[in-house]
Amino acid sequence: MNARKLIVGPFNRVEGDLEIKLDVEDGRVAAAYANAPLFRGFEQMMVGKAPEDALTITPRICGICSISQSAAASAALGAAAGVAPAPEGMRVAAILHAIENVCDHLTHFNLFFCADFARPAYAGRAWHARAVDRFTAMEGSGARACVEARAQILHIVGLLGGKWPHTLAIQPGGVTRAPTARDCVRMASTLASFRRYLETVVFGAPVESFAEIATADALVGWDKGDAGLFMDIAADLALGQMGAGPGRYMSFGAYPLPDGRAFASGLWEAGHLQPVDTRDIREDLSHAWMHGATAHPSDGRTDPDEDMSDPAYSWCKAPRLGGRTVETGAFARQVVDGHPAAVELAGRGSNALNRVAGRLLEVARTQLLLEQWVADIAPEARFMDSVTLPQTGDGEGLVEAARGALGHWIRIEDGRIAGYQIIAPTTWNFSPRDAAGTPGPVEAALEGAVVGDDEDTPLTVQHIVRSFDPCMVCTVH
Amino acid sequence: MADIETFYDVMRSQGITRRSFMKYCSLTASALGLGPAFVPQIAHAMETKPRTPVIWVHGLECTCCSESFIRSAHPLAKDVVLSMISLDYDDTLMAAAGHAAEAAFEETIQKYDGQYILAVEGNPPLNEDGMFCISGGKPFVEKLKHAAKGAKCIISWGACASYGCVQAAKPNPTQATPVHKVITDKPIIKVPGCPPIAEVMTGVITYMLTFDRMPELDRQGRPAMFYGQRIHDKCYRRPHFDAGQFVEEWDDDGARKGYCLYKMGCKGPTTYNACSTVRWNEGVSFPIQSGHGCIGCSEDGFWDQGTFYDRVTDLTQFGVEANADQIGLAAAGAVGTGVAAHAAITALKAAQSKAQKTPTEPTNEEA
Repeated sequence: MNARKLIVGPFNRVEGDLEIKLDVEDGRVAAAYANAPLFRGFEQMMVGKAPEDALTITPRICGICSISQSAAASAALGAAAGVAPAPEGMRVAAILHAIENVCDHLTHFNLFFCADFARPAYAGRAWHARAVDRFTAMEGSGARACVEARAQILHIVGLLGGKWPHTLAIQPGGVTRAPTARDCVRMASTLASFRRYLETVVFGAPVESFAEIATADALVGWDKGDAGLFMDIAADLALGQMGAGPGRYMSFGAYPLPDGRAFASGLWEAGHLQPVDTRDIREDLSHAWMHGATAHPSDGRTDPDEDMSDPAYSWCKAPRLGGRTVETGAFARQVVDGHPAAVELAGRGSNALNRVAGRLLEVARTQLLLEQWVADIAPEARFMDSVTLPQTGDGEGLVEAARGALGHWIRIEDGRIAGYQIIAPTTWNFSPRDAAGTPGPVEAALEGAVVGDDEDTPLTVQHIVRSFDPCMVCTVH
Repeated sequence: MADIETFYDVMRSQGITRRSFMKYCSLTASALGLGPAFVPQIAHAMETKPRTPVIWVHGLECTCCSESFIRSAHPLAKDVVLSMISLDYDDTLMAAAGHAAEAAFEETIQKYDGQYILAVEGNPPLNEDGMFCISGGKPFVEKLKHAAKGAKCIISWGACASYGCVQAAKPNPTQATPVHKVITDKPIIKVPGCPPIAEVMTGVITYMLTFDRMPELDRQGRPAMFYGQRIHDKCYRRPHFDAGQFVEEWDDDGARKGYCLYKMGCKGPTTYNACSTVRWNEGVSFPIQSGHGCIGCSEDGFWDQGTFYDRVTDLTQFGVEANADQIGLAAAGAVGTGVAAHAAITALKAAQSKAQKTPTEPTNEEA
């Protein structure tokens, strides 16, 4: 048997720091260990602060998903106070949040994921020249078009939220800015130009025709725009046969509106959909450099083990739902929401291609939602109700960030924060082993990946890891 | 000096037209507060000087600075990050990974020894020998010191590198430490903000390229051209402040009319930054315009000043305006910027008899 050990990292083109240890046997990954080597201690800093400061501090966990963090903090505070935001405020918050998520998907597709296809290692493949033209890191034409389109659509966030990253507008009672009729016209025209970008560059066809794809075959067989180029490459490199996750998909449900969440919440496994019961969440610390016992986040704590003692190998805790790993992200969201092509793909098995396809589907569907929400804004309505935070209480804030399910749990005592715990999407996906020795989703997905004898940073490993779009700064915070 | 192509060469090879190039030069001149006479000077520098190699490293941070940078207003400014200013090493965006990336890092350091600008996003945590931020198997603080050795100068991007920012909030679990406390033998420009405004970031770099020197800094080490005035000085809601018209609660009538956010905790009167002039997301808006007060993110220690929604001061014996002005004076004195004009205007205002609500509740300052 031919065995060796590899350390892959620092991983670039993922957000934050990531290092993966691999045991390789006979040209395949036998075991993988994901390490989040960056720890800042936000949960410790929150203790003793005024509860409303969570709105300013927690978004700074991440400069890429900061609106998601802000929405989760706001939801947790709202839950502690027992109030819902003003209905029009919910709509504006949904617009802010959805734009950030779409931007993240496009960044991932153009700047982080597809750049790997431009590598010299793939020279000679039929699609390589096109991949080099579109996706070369920092220079590809697709990468440039994406950066420009993103900057444009973020004008809407600028308009409603003052600035991005680190927008402050979302509050427990609603949003700080009531858009005027003129703002609405401006947002509609920005969305129209973004639609043009999606239709000419990303999908090569009307947004509706991509969003309404009904079967898995039609989705993976899409042949227009950069989405088509990706499907072409994915078929050739067999991305549909690598990176199997747990096959359990969890979503907290995205974009709360007065009549429910725009994308449904739930837990999907083998064709069965059931509600997510967050009381079943536990964070296992057996392989994290953390002191303390396995706990629900509402009474969990963050106390780093500065000796970094074995067998722990990451700052990341290991969240489990009902004792089991779950995968979260755009594909999970689309499966849970019941998109027919996504559900059919999920039924065929978990893989790297599905995760990227899920993001593309979501980009198309979200554009349609955004257009609707902007058209529905009633400028004369109230956008924020005043909220009195309790002296004592607790709250759970559940949202869907681009990368999946994000939860904040706050406990307030004597008007100050007494406990604050965060479980980010990548905490779920990149968790280390638990007490039972079960690897986290990405660790399991890497088992069996092909490693060439001359490779020390294996390409398949990179494809699989990046297919999850990890956000490591959110993971550990 | 290693043979490096000029900016203009790089731009031409990217298919940028001469017309677009000149437009960039004039935009840059105005962003830097220079007159039209400087446009040819900027253009000349871009045409003849070798592009500046930049090494961009990330410590404890959230990447918001990079995110801000890649969406500055002019497409050419965006290209600064995508290729123009050669970003010879950037671990978020570059192509290489793993060992290849580390090799590229070493190569850049050696090839451009003494010529490159080291751009630092985030900061090193010093607790436990730096083990809270490990990059390439080593503590980030070592990578930072190593890269700083051959740097011409250092840019501290954002509040993290400049001051510590939120991860340095009490109890600062990782002992997150600003760059200038670790690197003491190199010129450092602080470009604070969380994140800094994109045009401020590109403006600073372009200035250094054009004039071959660091911009004039204030006493805190920030470029005076962008951090010379308070948000309050140029805030479009300032007339409402002077008239005593304030938002009293979220989405009230005053909020709809765009009244001053001072009573909602706005830190504009004590914050030096260009938000109210340059604005955000390609000049669209800034936080105060979205109805939320400034949180003072370009000032040292903004994260530990009591809650963000308390008024800037608890000196209750003075009126609101006197408060703002005193704080303004104190802060202005600290950075050596003239405040005579503001003081004069305020004196005039004080002469008008105007009913002012006095803030009565003390702030809940953390012990």
